[in-house]
Amino acid sequence: MDWQTLSALAADGLAVGSLYALTAFGLTLVYGLLRVLHVAHAGVYAAGAYAGWLAFRGGGGLGWALLAGAGCAVALGLLLEWWFYRPLQGRSPLVALIGSIGLFVAVGDLLRILFGPYQHSLPVLPPRTVVGPVSLPQLVVVAATAGLFLVVYGIATRTPLGVGWRAIAQDAEMAAAVGIPLPRYTQLAFALASALAGVAGVLVGVYYNQVYPTMGAVPAYKALAVVVLGGLGSPWGTVAAGLLLGVVESVAVAYLGNRFPPEGVAFLAMMLVLLFRPQGLLTAEPQG
Amino acid sequence: MTVLEARNLTKRFGGLVAVSGVHLRVDAGELLGLFGPNGAGKTTLFNLISGTLRPDEGEVVFYGEPITHLPPHARARRGIARTFQVVQAFGELTVLENVLTALAHRALTGWLPLGRYDAPVRRRAAMELLERVGLASRAGERAKNLPLGLLKRLEVARSLALQPKLLLLDEPLGGLNLRESEQLLEVLLALRGQTTMVLVEHNVRMALPVCDRAVAMDAGRVIAEGRPEDVRRHPQVIEAYLGEGEDA
Amino acid sequence: MYAVTVFTQLCIYAVLTLSLNLITGLAGQVSLGHAAFFGIGAYVVGVLTTHGIPFAPAWLVGGLVAAGFGLVLGSISLRLREDFLAIATIAFNFVVVAAFLYLPYFGGAYGISGIPKPLGNAGFPLLVLATTLGVVWFHERARASDLGLAWMSLRESEVAAEAVGVDVRRFKVTAFVLGTGLAGLAGGLYAAYIGVIRPEDFGFPLSVTLLAMVAVGGMGTLWGPLAGAFVLGGFAQAFAFVHNYQLVLYGLLLALVMRYRPQGLLGKLG
Repeated sequence: MDWQTLSALAADGLAVGSLYALTAFGLTLVYGLLRVLHVAHAGVYAAGAYAGWLAFRGGGGLGWALLAGAGCAVALGLLLEWWFYRPLQGRSPLVALIGSIGLFVAVGDLLRILFGPYQHSLPVLPPRTVVGPVSLPQLVVVAATAGLFLVVYGIATRTPLGVGWRAIAQDAEMAAAVGIPLPRYTQLAFALASALAGVAGVLVGVYYNQVYPTMGAVPAYKALAVVVLGGLGSPWGTVAAGLLLGVVESVAVAYLGNRFPPEGVAFLAMMLVLLFRPQGLLTAEPQG
Repeated sequence: MTVLEARNLTKRFGGLVAVSGVHLRVDAGELLGLFGPNGAGKTTLFNLISGTLRPDEGEVVFYGEPITHLPPHARARRGIARTFQVVQAFGELTVLENVLTALAHRALTGWLPLGRYDAPVRRRAAMELLERVGLASRAGERAKNLPLGLLKRLEVARSLALQPKLLLLDEPLGGLNLRESEQLLEVLLALRGQTTMVLVEHNVRMALPVCDRAVAMDAGRVIAEGRPEDVRRHPQVIEAYLGEGEDA
Repeated sequence: MYAVTVFTQLCIYAVLTLSLNLITGLAGQVSLGHAAFFGIGAYVVGVLTTHGIPFAPAWLVGGLVAAGFGLVLGSISLRLREDFLAIATIAFNFVVVAAFLYLPYFGGAYGISGIPKPLGNAGFPLLVLATTLGVVWFHERARASDLGLAWMSLRESEVAAEAVGVDVRRFKVTAFVLGTGLAGLAGGLYAAYIGVIRPEDFGFPLSVTLLAMVAVGGMGTLWGPLAGAFVLGGFAQAFAFVHNYQLVLYGLLLALVMRYRPQGLLGKLG
């Protein structure tokens, strides 16, 4: 394998991995706080993608598309937190999980009813190459992701919000007892998670030049795999795992081609991790 | 005769030594009190005896037989019953069904035990047990609807359904008000002499007087043992409790 | 004739929901991959009967093979916490469907066709009905038994169940083996009834549908899963004109029931 091909694969892998990381990060964040798998997150992602497409249709460029995507996603995410997850907090997590799956299915189908089952293109960026084999979309995706995670890192480490999130994830009762406002911090977490997902949705639409109603399905499954690989409840593990999965998938597709479905990589890795290291590849202690 | 013996039990969690070289002996028919400040290792010791945890060193011997490697359900079937610090009732099951779960234990052999769980014989036995703890009138209610005080009594009834040779009570008075505590202690006192019991309790004032013998722990070790009055006055015990502002 | 077809389909759903109820409703183990076992039973019958093996032994083998895989999944479940288990069952479903797609003898994307229907058009529905009644009987027998009580106790509190002498590990496995085996039998019936099976018939969406039927009907009871099967299953059949809106209505129904009546329409679990 020559240098050219390798760097092309790496670029694609990093870009795709960045998208996984953006999507899955929110999932882990919410899980850490609520101990529920927010499957509807993938619906938020898809809705964000469509919002971005609408903005583009309305004449906006990449910036407007991203803003619209993030905005719509945040609105939807907050709505779900308020209407669905908060009232169900004392219940068995199975209840929220099943309902969340229902919401995901409903949102996806609603997008189909509203906008048609066909793909729509989102040609906001010309796919030309910029540096060696690296294309403009890839550059934008990786740069945007890096920028966003820098901001998130800042929030997580330097603000009371970040400290609060960690505290709630460790012991919600204790956190409440020391005065951390759980409802507000949970809302903010949903807002951030959804914003990232919305951006990811728009970027995916730009990267593959398509938005379609069931586009949330694959990220839903992949995000689960990423979250398990990185350690359920470990946000930065999730980011690392997302990038890793992206790269591994790129390489696998290049080498294995038709003989093995690319989704299989994610699921195989997930099953192996669940069997032998359920706390994730990157966390230290078993979580329970 | 010795019902239970713990020999040189040690349990570590990472760098923390929760229980260190503990020797404990429980004799038939006695009510042994296990005291100590928070973090002394009392519940860990219970978990080692009941089988929820395995020790890093040492052994647990029950009526002369080593049981150190038996899982909790096997120990339960041999006659070691326990209640939990945080009540573990079967919430969606009725009060009666909660007791019936324990009455079924002898029939749970093989992989497909398909006998009815509410045969008349068992129902009667369950109702008797509920009467002993004063819960007979609530037999048909879902356990999750009961207040804490009654749930603690339900746990005792459920444990007694095992016809245990040893009953471990993990902070039975925790979370109870004065009246509820007195009522529960009455139930336990009625068992004295017939059932061998080990009691872990934070509320030393109420619990110490009912014990036949007491053991005090601090920082994973046994620091005093003997008659309740003697243990209470033991200088190390007083110091251990003073360290957390408790009066003994 | 159409009524018989619908009825047969609903009975198969009923067997599926009752079998899932053993695992998830009674024993409390989340399974989002139940469709995989349905598929295993179907494919075993499909492969064997199209190679000349008569239906009866093929059917039983299908159930046994499904139960065998259920044993594997059950053993895996012992090592996983609730949320991880849900994910593992999803992954399992995908792996099984991928196996149907990519392994030889399963016909790839075209699946298997020409599966013979035993007993003819009059007799086969009676077989389905008899099976359904048999499963109902077994379900009720189990629910009233020491096994059922052991399941419910471990569902409510594993640590307390252990403390009253219940071998939690053993009975979790039992739940999986029985539930998946029955799903495999349902699969064999389905394959013979419909004649053509494809990998995507047994994917994750069906697993979600089945869990939804159990949850919406009411987990842990008899009439809950049956109601779920007949209502949600009948919904799709009877209202063909809502076919265009099926998913969104169905997803909303799930979300609404979980949000406002989590114990299900008929259930007691909350």
